[in-house]
Amino acid sequence: MFNTLQKWLPKIILSPSIFLVTVCIYGYVAWTGYLSLTHSRFLPNFKWAGLLQYNKLMENDRWVTSCINLLIFGVLFIIISIILGTLLAILLDQNIRQEGAIRTIYLYPMALSFIVTGTAWKWILNPGLGLEKMMHDWGWTSFEFNWLVSNDMSVYTLVIAAVWQSSGFVMAMFLAGLRGIDSSIVKAAQIDGASMPTIYWKIILPCLRPVFFSAVIITSHIAIKSFDLVTALTSGGPGYSSDLPALFMYTHAFTRGQMGLGAASAMMMLAGVLAILVPYLYSELRNREQ
Amino acid sequence: MTKFSPGRIFIYSILVLFCAIYLMPLLVMLLTSFKSLPDIRGGNLLSLPEVWVFDAWFKAWGTACTGVTCEGVKGYFWNSFKMAVPAVFISTLIGALNGYVIAHWRFKGSNLFFALMLFGCFIPFQVILLPMAATLGKFGLANTTTGLVFVHVVYGLVFTTLFFRNFYVSVPGELVKAAKLDGAGFFTIFFKIMLPISKPIIMVCIIWQFTQIWNDFLFGVVYSGSDSQPITVALNNLVNTSTGVKEYNVDMAAAIIAALPTLFVYVVAGKYFVRGLTAGSVKG
Amino acid sequence: MATLDIKQLYKRYGKSAPNTLEDINISINAGEFLILVGPSGCGKSTLMNMIAGLEEITSGDICIDGKVVNDVDPKDRDIAMVFQSYALYPNMTVRGNIEFALKIQKMDKDARETEITRVAQLLQIEHLLDRKPSQLSGGQQQRVSMGRALARQPKIYLFDEPLSNLDAKLRVEMRHEIKKLHQRLGTTIVYVTHDQIEAMTLADRIAVMKDGQLLQLGSPSEIYNDPADMFVAGFMGSPAMNFLHCSVEQSEHGLMGSLVCDQQQQHQIPLPEHLGKYAGKSLVVGIRPEQITHVNPYKKDKPLVTTLNLKLGVLEPTGPDTIALVTLNGKEISCRLDPDKPATMGENLNLMFDLSSAVYFDPNNEQRIR
Repeated sequence: MFNTLQKWLPKIILSPSIFLVTVCIYGYVAWTGYLSLTHSRFLPNFKWAGLLQYNKLMENDRWVTSCINLLIFGVLFIIISIILGTLLAILLDQNIRQEGAIRTIYLYPMALSFIVTGTAWKWILNPGLGLEKMMHDWGWTSFEFNWLVSNDMSVYTLVIAAVWQSSGFVMAMFLAGLRGIDSSIVKAAQIDGASMPTIYWKIILPCLRPVFFSAVIITSHIAIKSFDLVTALTSGGPGYSSDLPALFMYTHAFTRGQMGLGAASAMMMLAGVLAILVPYLYSELRNREQ
Repeated sequence: MTKFSPGRIFIYSILVLFCAIYLMPLLVMLLTSFKSLPDIRGGNLLSLPEVWVFDAWFKAWGTACTGVTCEGVKGYFWNSFKMAVPAVFISTLIGALNGYVIAHWRFKGSNLFFALMLFGCFIPFQVILLPMAATLGKFGLANTTTGLVFVHVVYGLVFTTLFFRNFYVSVPGELVKAAKLDGAGFFTIFFKIMLPISKPIIMVCIIWQFTQIWNDFLFGVVYSGSDSQPITVALNNLVNTSTGVKEYNVDMAAAIIAALPTLFVYVVAGKYFVRGLTAGSVKG
Repeated sequence: MATLDIKQLYKRYGKSAPNTLEDINISINAGEFLILVGPSGCGKSTLMNMIAGLEEITSGDICIDGKVVNDVDPKDRDIAMVFQSYALYPNMTVRGNIEFALKIQKMDKDARETEITRVAQLLQIEHLLDRKPSQLSGGQQQRVSMGRALARQPKIYLFDEPLSNLDAKLRVEMRHEIKKLHQRLGTTIVYVTHDQIEAMTLADRIAVMKDGQLLQLGSPSEIYNDPADMFVAGFMGSPAMNFLHCSVEQSEHGLMGSLVCDQQQQHQIPLPEHLGKYAGKSLVVGIRPEQITHVNPYKKDKPLVTTLNLKLGVLEPTGPDTIALVTLNGKEISCRLDPDKPATMGENLNLMFDLSSAVYFDPNNEQRIR
């Protein structure tokens, strides 16, 4: 410990990472923040623009649409994933035979890239040859399903694909939570005469509050950074009816030469994440202190 | 707890129904990839191929058009490996060392650094895309596999450090003290004592990183050039290239090819995969 | 074998933090078995780590064989340590664990083998040498961790609560084992524990610590019979020493302390004359349970012995004794009764208080009155 090299080794080992994290995360955030306050277009331009880009962003129909879409997509995706995940976890927790196999099936989509998921669902939801044709073949001739090409409905196809991919993961989190609950609590409640639904509703689910919160954090994180899924499934279309902020940022910063606007939209996304994360961390820390 | 009560049957039927729902897209992809184009138009998603043909697979692998070139996805498939293997290896090694320091060689500021790192897990990557592009350009790493490896290492080490730190924190500090008294130094303790007991977390970390990096699209599409594109970018180009007839069978074959390595990992090491997911989810 | 001197040792974490250790002075003779005892958080483990070199010294000196080792690396201090959790390297076999330090010292293979054989025979673990720690029982792991320490034949052995993770029976066995080992090898040992029976049975000398301070350093019998203050008196012994707060009066029968039992009856106990200056004030009488017994006719007429008629509360038969609780001054007092003599709960019984070996404390600073 008093040997000089030994004393410095831990710091030497950690310092490249400290450097990278400081520069490539916090430094770059500041950099992007600065870019968002300039007139940058194809190339960085350091002419000060104040909040111009943010004003432009707020007046940009496509941005407003993408934010509304994110809200619809995010809320539905989170709620459906959590309800489905909880339900499946509770059902799977009833001494099911072949539980391992079933769990494997529910969770495998999580191993896929969102691009693969998008490609698959794009084909399944194909208005001419996909689900619609299958239903017609099976005798339901009036079945119509054209969400993928509908301005109003295309954003919901994102919800379908994202729920398919991620609900198994939420299930795994809740299942782990259920397994972590002391079984004597359940026994005590049974002895007290509570029925199984009551036990779940009044005792077990409240115990899973922390799991619930981390599931919300993770799924909302997935929603906000959703870029690959929307690119592969709808490309934001038709028009920009299913655009999401992540796609908006990419398009403006890298293909349309609107770097300042792209940077501003990235900062808004960061603000969105912080708006969810900070209250969560705050309550976590406060709980921990108590 | 009788096995065939109506309640049990209800539970099993719901579980089986959802199995079918989760498996359906994979089944559709497989069936479609073995059909010919007329077969696709004649049948439906879940109808069996009239004739099982492998043409779509060969085309997807060797000759399908992905944007400008028409050489299939094979090159991109190897690109992904060339990117993922070194990135996984480097980020795991750094993560292990970082975790070891943060858990057992604490110094003033190491906890602050850990907190900064944790917080870094949550930033949306859009917010670092532009500066990183500028940096890669400056060092001549734009559009190269090396550049992609660098990006994946930087943003992956946050997670790998977290994995290893959480694992090493559960290793009693007395073990390190005992080794110090036995005369072992920083690296001896790491290589002789810590690494040999880290097999499970190394597996978790490698699998998590491999899945993340293989499946990544954002960094791939922003930072890769035409000859360093990973498979996810190629797949997207292939599917969204609108020239001539849409060949759904080729799309599906390419999608399965892109999914195979991670699916393989999931099937052989699913235990570690799930552990990684749940460990990665309790960040914070 | 070596001497260990700890001189004016201080430990503070951070500049404004309170002292974790304050002015510790202990000097340990070669071959001596010293036990550090105290409640958790008293700083005994910190002191141990500082002796080992695992924590830095804020001020003061630690000397081994007369040489200051403050800035010497743990590995160069020639110290071995046995940990509460055993801290066996889980990836190595028992042999690998014992060998590890020897390999680092670059000892050649034959010498290592000889050393492993010697240690294994000494601790009777020859049949375990090729097993992994996870395949061993707690007691076996304990032996291996001692073997690892013995293999290096260091100058000083440190034991950090080595028996706390064992079950009661094994703990007694290992205690005897350690005692025998010490007598056979005659090594210098510093041993941390919070178990006062271990402290009493093993130690040549005991250091009682509290809140980072060394309260008393002495042989087990000094600590037990001649405690420096109320804390030491209360800490050693089970059941603990009884403390009776009483007011002191000078009467025609000599100096008396008055007590009130739960039936609101006033009782008097005789006090030694040297406490005369406390007349009119109050003090604390410390009396061990074995000094309150059935009436013993042989002691009856000795000075400082008195008999009080008190109502028995809960009785706890332990086998060799029966511990009875009686209420005096609103506090429960334990007495050690002969299990062969009749006693029932709620009964009024004559109890003999032998104050000749009682100790007295000042209620204000809890220090011993001598």
